[in-house]
Amino acid sequence: MNYLNSVAASFILLPVAVLLINNILPKQFVEKRFQYLTGAVALCQMAAALSVFFMMDHAGLRTYNFTIFRNLPGSELFGIHPVSLVFLFCIGMVSLVSVMVANRTVDAKKSAYVNLLMTLLIGMNGMTLVNDFFSLYVFLDVVGLSSFVLIAMFRSRRALEGSIKYLIISELATVFILTGLSFIFMKTGSLSYKDIGSAVLTGSSTMQTVLLYASLILITAGFCVKAGAVPFHSWLPDAHQSADTSVSILLSGIVIKIAGVYGLFVLVDLFKGVKALQVSLAAIGILSVVAGALLALRQTHFKRIIAYSSVSQIGYILLGLSTGTTLGLIGSVAHVFSHAAFKTTLFTNAAAVHEQTGTLEIDEMGGLQSRMPVTAFSSAIATLSTAGIPPFAGFWSKLLIIMALWTSGSAVLGGFALCASILTAAYLLRLQKKVFFGKTPEHLASVTEVTGSVRLTEILLTAVTSIVGVFFPFILLYLQSKGLI
Amino acid sequence: MFMDIIIYISLAFLLFFCLMAVMSHSMLRSAIYLALASATLSVILYMLGAVWAAVIEVSACSGLVTVIFISSISLSKMGKEDVQKLFATKKQMGLLPVLLVFVGIALVILAVSHGFTLPSVAQEAADTFRTVFWDTRQLDILGQIAAVLVGGIAVSVLLRKDESEK
Repeated sequence: MNYLNSVAASFILLPVAVLLINNILPKQFVEKRFQYLTGAVALCQMAAALSVFFMMDHAGLRTYNFTIFRNLPGSELFGIHPVSLVFLFCIGMVSLVSVMVANRTVDAKKSAYVNLLMTLLIGMNGMTLVNDFFSLYVFLDVVGLSSFVLIAMFRSRRALEGSIKYLIISELATVFILTGLSFIFMKTGSLSYKDIGSAVLTGSSTMQTVLLYASLILITAGFCVKAGAVPFHSWLPDAHQSADTSVSILLSGIVIKIAGVYGLFVLVDLFKGVKALQVSLAAIGILSVVAGALLALRQTHFKRIIAYSSVSQIGYILLGLSTGTTLGLIGSVAHVFSHAAFKTTLFTNAAAVHEQTGTLEIDEMGGLQSRMPVTAFSSAIATLSTAGIPPFAGFWSKLLIIMALWTSGSAVLGGFALCASILTAAYLLRLQKKVFFGKTPEHLASVTEVTGSVRLTEILLTAVTSIVGVFFPFILLYLQSKGLI
Repeated sequence: MFMDIIIYISLAFLLFFCLMAVMSHSMLRSAIYLALASATLSVILYMLGAVWAAVIEVSACSGLVTVIFISSISLSKMGKEDVQKLFATKKQMGLLPVLLVFVGIALVILAVSHGFTLPSVAQEAADTFRTVFWDTRQLDILGQIAAVLVGGIAVSVLLRKDESEK
């Protein structure tokens, strides 16, 4: 058990250690090797998430509480459960991709990038590991602040505009969440998950009911802002477009999921019996799915299309959560993973195209398929996965969500979600057509395939999307045999 | 009695810091005064026995909000001269301390005439505060340290001039 505790503690201690190393060692030495340092942390995080899963399974544990400093008070404040392990694995995977892309896109300020990536990791890991809503709020603010500086650090006019917009809306969301939490605290006297779960539905006075619903509205709105769900999405396309692509990968691949979706996971888990919450999530979910796809259809900037696609895909995750069933939860968690895989692929494609062509306006491109075959192929696989075409990872997660909607009596929503996949295919095929097919403009005649870490990332992510898609039914069967489903 | 005096002194400090936050001609100083006001408020809350509120005030307002304010101010290009120009058109701000003194006197007269007294001060508050902040909110301290660290990184990244700018 000590070994399990040590591995679990590494989720917090490793980023702290790299943060210290980055600031102690000479700057030039660190900047030359920043990709190895940060890449190792990301890989270790993925390995640690898998190790903890198998160790917990071996010990027959469904949840595991641990401490990082054994001799200090407040032990067993962190907790791990299977859902948080999926999120932790995704954090590692997306961070690794971001580092590999940053190797090519971040020229100056590598040291600052490492510092901010590590604080972002501390914030995101902290959010998924805490057992208390107020601690979640504190780590949420660490995530928000780190993301803000990551967007702004390259100091272009557009980046500053995007970062300020993100900061203002994001902090408004945290105010909502904090106010909602204070209402819950007034009712329960504690913000620990276990205390809220048992106390929140007791008491039936009008005032208590009003407080409960007011807190739910505020917290749901706050987390939906962070997740970029419609109608709280206005910050997302600007922030994702204006940031460096390595940062966009982090934002779209994992930050919106941890800062927004994970909070909603916790909320749905604690307020299982509240029908209004499920209805609200279903409404926001379907609105995001449809509006995100329609807005993506109108865009002409590569990264902006993918950003609106994230809005739409977050809607699917919310729809799965809104069912309140185990199937819906599994579908949502699976979609968190598959979205992390295919969206980071598309952003890596954007980085590759930008590096080789110098533009991301799709109207200025065309015919890159013959000049950038690896990028075109990985982009096509990611598009198919996003649109929910079998046998890729996105197909299975969407199928589970639609099945969950169908079996929980929301057949209409399931139908809408199914039809929205056609819209997804439409805007992504338009992107494919404009960028990779058709006639090549003269100024792009000399374009060649991207090399180095960006190409390697594209190949690896395409393999992940395909392999997980092919083996998805077996993974589900394995989890079922272990009693986790 | 001793605790009552500390509360009165803290209230005076709170008023002073709030006033300075509004009156200061430097945005950065305003943000720092606001943080000090928030910290003073948390001292008052803790002495009045509202330990949890004090902890949250310290965690959320004094720490995180200040970091956000300072980061935003660092990003904005508005200098001291610009702020002073803005203030030049708002001369009525100078009357704010006078107004506050009058309101303060009115409140004291009201309190004395109605026999208001301070709520009883929680003597065990010190122990409770330590217990709450260290034993049960230990994780928040870690989060706070991370948040302050991000603020420091933000200031160093966003304020430092690039080679091209130099």
